[in-house]
Amino acid sequence: MGAFGHFLVSHFATLRLEFWGLLVGGVANGLIYGMVAVGYTLVYGVLRLINFAHSEIVMTGGFTSYFVLRGVIGTSIPNGWATVGILVVGMVAGGVSGAVMAMLVERVAYRPLRRRRAPQLAYLISAIGASYFLFNLAGKEFGRVLLSVPQPYVNHPIFSVFGAPVQLYYLVIVIASAAMLLGADQFVGRTRLGRGLRAVAQDSETASLLGVDVNRTIALTFALGGALGGIGGFLLGLGTGVVYTMGFVPALKAFTAAVLGGIGNLRGAMIGGLLLGVVESLSIAFVQPAYIDVVAFGILVLVLLVRPTGILGERLGRAA
Amino acid sequence: MKLRFNKTVAAVTSSAVLLMAAPTVGVVSASAGSVPTYTIGYQGPLSGSYAYLGQYMYYGALVAINNANAGTKFGKLPFKLKLARFDDQGSSTIAPSQAQAAIQTRSLVAIVGPAFSGATEASEPYYSKAHMPTVSPSATAAALAKGARNNFMRVVAGDDVQGAADANFLVKTHHVKSLVVINNGSFYGAGLAAVVSKQAKKDGAKVTNYTDPTTGSCGGTASTTQYAATATQIMAAHVDGVYFGGYYCGFGLLLGALSSAGYTGTIMSDDGSWSTGLFSDTTPPTAANGVYVSEAGGGNANLTGKLASQFQKLSHQKAQGATYAAQAYDATNMIIKAMLSIKRSPNIKVLRGQLVVELHKMTFKGVTGTIHFQGNGDLSRNSIVEFAQANATTKTFKVVGHS
Amino acid sequence: MSRVTLALRSPTSRRLLTSLAAMAVVALMTGPSGSATQPMVGPTGSFGEHVSIFGLFPGPRWLLFFLFALVMWGIWTFWLRRGTSLRAAASTLATPPKRAFAHRPVRWVFYVALIGVGVVFPHLVTSQYWQSVMVEQIAVFVLLALGLNVVVGFAGLLDLGFVAFYAIGAYATAWVTGSLPTPAPFGVHLNPFFAIPVAIALVMVAGVLLGTPTLRLRGDYLAIVTLGFGEIITIFANNLYGITGGSYGSGGVTGKHGIPHFSINLGPIHYRWTLNPVPYYYLILVFVVIFIVAFSLLEHSRVGRAWTAIREDEVAAESVGINPLKYKVMAFAIGAASAGFAGVMTAAQSIFIFPATFTLQVSINILALVIFGGMGSIAGVAVGAMVIQTGSMYLLHSPPSGYQPADLYMYLGALLMVTMIFRPMGLIPSRRRRREIVLTEAGEGHMNEVLSGENP
Repeated sequence: MGAFGHFLVSHFATLRLEFWGLLVGGVANGLIYGMVAVGYTLVYGVLRLINFAHSEIVMTGGFTSYFVLRGVIGTSIPNGWATVGILVVGMVAGGVSGAVMAMLVERVAYRPLRRRRAPQLAYLISAIGASYFLFNLAGKEFGRVLLSVPQPYVNHPIFSVFGAPVQLYYLVIVIASAAMLLGADQFVGRTRLGRGLRAVAQDSETASLLGVDVNRTIALTFALGGALGGIGGFLLGLGTGVVYTMGFVPALKAFTAAVLGGIGNLRGAMIGGLLLGVVESLSIAFVQPAYIDVVAFGILVLVLLVRPTGILGERLGRAA
Repeated sequence: MKLRFNKTVAAVTSSAVLLMAAPTVGVVSASAGSVPTYTIGYQGPLSGSYAYLGQYMYYGALVAINNANAGTKFGKLPFKLKLARFDDQGSSTIAPSQAQAAIQTRSLVAIVGPAFSGATEASEPYYSKAHMPTVSPSATAAALAKGARNNFMRVVAGDDVQGAADANFLVKTHHVKSLVVINNGSFYGAGLAAVVSKQAKKDGAKVTNYTDPTTGSCGGTASTTQYAATATQIMAAHVDGVYFGGYYCGFGLLLGALSSAGYTGTIMSDDGSWSTGLFSDTTPPTAANGVYVSEAGGGNANLTGKLASQFQKLSHQKAQGATYAAQAYDATNMIIKAMLSIKRSPNIKVLRGQLVVELHKMTFKGVTGTIHFQGNGDLSRNSIVEFAQANATTKTFKVVGHS
Repeated sequence: MSRVTLALRSPTSRRLLTSLAAMAVVALMTGPSGSATQPMVGPTGSFGEHVSIFGLFPGPRWLLFFLFALVMWGIWTFWLRRGTSLRAAASTLATPPKRAFAHRPVRWVFYVALIGVGVVFPHLVTSQYWQSVMVEQIAVFVLLALGLNVVVGFAGLLDLGFVAFYAIGAYATAWVTGSLPTPAPFGVHLNPFFAIPVAIALVMVAGVLLGTPTLRLRGDYLAIVTLGFGEIITIFANNLYGITGGSYGSGGVTGKHGIPHFSINLGPIHYRWTLNPVPYYYLILVFVVIFIVAFSLLEHSRVGRAWTAIREDEVAAESVGINPLKYKVMAFAIGAASAGFAGVMTAAQSIFIFPATFTLQVSINILALVIFGGMGSIAGVAVGAMVIQTGSMYLLHSPPSGYQPADLYMYLGALLMVTMIFRPMGLIPSRRRRREIVLTEAGEGHMNEVLSGENP
């Protein structure tokens, strides 16, 4: 508590501003974690495995939207409806490429193992291999440096929350991710395809007897999670630029978020993401920025040891 | 370019067998009768995240080698020169292997490099055992110049000089009263930041230190959270100056975060950020507008005139702002001149140990100024630290002063 | 339209399409690298650049790889027709040596000959680069792979933070020899030999501390938690300037001396190791042999059988009175021991250590050695480590055009994936695993069990 006391004394005058500023940043980050976490949770719900390569789906989304935006945005900075249009185009590019990449990973790295009924260990190793292969290939093809994504707007504060400015970028994140998360929730809960997905998650053999195409449903699961991951990649890239390793840490945090909320639980992933983002961001008031990843891992270990089923509880087979 | 695939396949499949063939690897020496070929090695990052910085130096050295071979710099040479690449990616882990690869190359007489401080620290034990002269264009960590009469030399000033000058520039010239000093957690960034922070305190500024992790910079795992949170803290602390010790990639991330947080104070970084890479790493690039960078290279830090056009032709990069290209050019020329003063007749061989002695004796007038080494390998003159300001529109740095 | 789809769905055309896709990926992997200024050079150059096609005539790369794809398709089709008989022929050929190897004297002669080759080896390889590679990159990684093999291969636990134990071993050495900002224990600067017991004790304690809470977790959670542990150790090593020297590493900048070399002062015998790699090679060789003997004794002991039982069916193992947690923690600690020892070797040999040496990439590298060599097979893991490390160091030494050192992990990632898909038992399968395969094929093993590689 010494650190906390010191913090209170030395930052007292600025405490409020800092708190709200960190909170705003944390919410924005947390929403992205939530979007990426949906990918983990869906795949886990259906296949009972951690899609280790999900980080590279985030990266794929980031890079694709980078190239699209580079093509679309000219020398001048767009405004008004042009900004909205470009953002939508970027999201579509990120989402579609993420979905395609996720399906490819499933096809190449998982399906041969599934056919053989390989043990869990084999899936994990194959997925780690896929992940390392993909991000290093991207590094080779596009250079191992950060590429700044052309901005579709001037990122200035729109309004303020208790004195802490909220930038346009954060607003974009909030709107986009809220829409996507709600959409995913409705899709899984309400549509026929979503029902098929839940049926496979509950009992794949019975589902296949009842006429659900299991392979197609699994591909759909990957596609849906991949689309959200890809859009997450687009939003991440918009803020900091794209680089071949960009998926790794956010995806690991997203996994933590998924566990925190209860893996297999769609709403849990969203709440877990939000919570993790906020806690992580606020923790910077107490520790050096260098230790921020330690905080996230600490939360993961703590949750796994104390309450491995997460906040909302695991809902394996009820991926909604 | 030919037979690329076949070579790769051969490399992979025959690698196991290659242990047996290993003794023959790397033996390149002069054939009898003709002019001998000597190799000068460049050790530094040529791929990976720091490739930008490393390639400036490589091409700077290449310009020197080409001009010497063409006879336009030193007249007709009594030997042929080759420039070998030892790509250590700036990593202290790969560096020792590359150093040993360099040492066992028989025709190799000297190294331009190692480029990065951490890599230098890791490689020097091997080089010093082999009496290999290493003239670094950019390894600035103060602690590297230790022993007397050692084989390590550098044509730039150490961090102690640069860090102090940077602190004075911020506090005295720009009247910064409260300063946040951030380092990127690398060997180089942490050392420099420590000097800046110490000197700024001495100058009377209020200093806060932060460490942003190496994993947050370009080579590792870019993480938005850290830099956004750091920016929030900087805003809340109401400081009028920020100093970043590290490389352009991390600095770019920080600038993006600071700009979207609305920070308007003075921002400064070091020679690791003095690169056009800064503009492609900053989102949006305009956030880099007006930030200061410094370099302890001295004098004229860029290749100019004919050298600039040669550099541009080889590297496809502008010579203006090509950090340490001029230093690498000078270091290479100095090595060649030392070789010439040893090889006075065809029968004399140039040996590594002799070159170390010769380089310590020399006084050389290069494009970056007059170079003479002290016993510990540091420059003997008081080195000038140059300050420049970034312009995001033209993607260049404009020199605004010196210490 | 439907006829086209049908044609595309036929097995032959499917194989052709797969071959084309695979070769397109290989073309990208071996092609030129992109850069920040020209991020499209990679993809366009990989297909557009002109190369010599089989040394016959010049042409664009896409043509070369198209031809490769046709060759691959041909081999694939041939293998489907004749593969079974070819494999049978190969196994008939391999039977006499295998049977001979079953005799104990023959085996002993083979082992002694192997050690003999190991002893004369540094005199065959006189290049300084390769001598040092043999110590720093091959022998050390053989040790690391042997350790991870205990965890992954014997006990079936995926540990992605194995590098942490390697780091702890190295930092323990720096600490004991007085090269860290932390004062050495009792203020005495010891010779690295004394670091060996200290390092091994420390890593085993770390293994138990990490393992006891986390080994109750499901396998996939364990992988992530260990990954986090590895990252945390690196972050601490990089930032605790007052304790580990932070990013400066040991010695050097912090004003301390570098880590001293090993030395022996026993009565009249005085010997000091130096930067020369050959004496280090012999020192490590001795320990590699010790570790191999110890681990293979362990594999065939009661403990090893308990590991197998847990790996195959934890519930069944528990029901016959095996305490899974106890044996899992044991595997963790024992595997960590050899990583800790490897850390001592690296530290003493390289004088300075830096936190940047101990990254997640190293953990993945070690994992690739174990998987490629054959999980659970000591011989396989050792051979796999030698082959991969030699290959990667050859590529570092004389890179072919289109290869950058950082590409190594792309190849290792592909290797992990391809091994898991096509040959999960690895290069040299362990005998126990092979028996499991036979049982599975006879319909007596567990259908799901592992890594059999064949359709049950």
